[in-house]
Amino acid sequence: MAECIVVTSGKGGVGKTTTSANLAAGLALAGKKVACVDADIGLRNLDVILGLENRIVYDLVQVIEGECRLKQALIRDKRVEGLYLLPAAQTRDKAAVKPEDMKRLVNDLKEDHDFVIIDCPAGIEQGFKNSIAGADRAVIVTTPEVSAIRDADRIIGLVEAHDLPEPHLIINRYRPHMVSRGDMMNKDDILEILAIPLIGMVPDHPDIIVSANRGQPVVFEERSVVGAAYRRITDRVMGIDVPFPSFEADPGLWANLKRWMGLAPAREAV
Amino acid sequence: MRSLFQRLSEAIGPSKSQSKDEAKQRLKLLLIHDQVDLPQAQLDRMKAEILEVIAKYCEVEKDDGVEFKLNREDGHVALVSTIPVRRVTARA
Ligand SMILES: Nc1ncnc2c1ncn2[C@@H]1O[C@H](COP(=O)(O)OP(=O)(O)O)[C@@H](O)[C@H]1O
Ligand SMILES: [Mg+2]
Repeated sequence: MAECIVVTSGKGGVGKTTTSANLAAGLALAGKKVACVDADIGLRNLDVILGLENRIVYDLVQVIEGECRLKQALIRDKRVEGLYLLPAAQTRDKAAVKPEDMKRLVNDLKEDHDFVIIDCPAGIEQGFKNSIAGADRAVIVTTPEVSAIRDADRIIGLVEAHDLPEPHLIINRYRPHMVSRGDMMNKDDILEILAIPLIGMVPDHPDIIVSANRGQPVVFEERSVVGAAYRRITDRVMGIDVPFPSFEADPGLWANLKRWMGLAPAREAV
Repeated sequence: MRSLFQRLSEAIGPSKSQSKDEAKQRLKLLLIHDQVDLPQAQLDRMKAEILEVIAKYCEVEKDDGVEFKLNREDGHVALVSTIPVRRVTARA
């Protein structure tokens, strides 16, 4: 049975688009047929992160308005079997789409895909309502910062108010060094506050920027630690129970020296 | 006595400030506050209903001097109200 997952956060810039691209690509790598939908009308991005921006002919609004068929608008990724993108319109307004339109679109996509991944725009207005209209469940992305977590809490309430099951959480841009010196909230701090199940932790890492530069999702990178984090998320989304590695801070020269002098505890797992 | 190394460590080592504790504390307050941030219309309705209940037992000032607010104090949020009572009408 096909499933539609919305990736949302409330706050902008926390990693929804990056997560959507890597989750969709990861599921395709795992042999699933996946459609990812850029629901950020007017600010399309997912095409660039996936490196498919040069192949866009039609967009989501044109599909909804009946200007083209759904099949014509879907861009097939040539790097991996089963990955398709439905791009957002760049020159239209969010008001061009209504929740009922999205519901119908998602249902059509579910007919011949295993997963539909929706990249939600920031905010809690029209774009958010459109994005969750057809979703079966939600993944909430946050960073370990006060403002992002506050917005995540708000979104969790809204997701539950829309009769979706309890959402899952991804903590993005985790910095083990800052966590181990007490300057960033750790996993348990965040879970204590948001109280929803964790489905992934993604470190803050330069590989994300390099892969965005290239239009090549990092989940494809066999040897990248962030790529591995997204592969674990993909597995968990498919219902596979994957343990969470403790991201251990490389303590650095200073801490090593202190430990060697017997002034610091053995190793601070985070 | 602190060793030279300890003093050196404090001077140039990583900061000991646990800023994440501050973040967590602030967040907890914020969220309580967000969650009890009732829209004015709802706050008005609640006020009317509470006054109705109180009116069963006391004769109270209905408009002037009645105060209802959500107060943010250190550590928690409280619903604070001041209702001037003219006289107690019912006896248990
Ligand atoms: N784990 C990470 N490490 C480093 N940079 C990241 C990470 N996640 C996201 N970013 C960067 O943050 C920015 C915002 O990410 P994006 O996925 O576009 O967020 P959103 O879709 O929520 O606005 C991008 O420039 C992206 O490269
Ligand atoms: Mg985005």
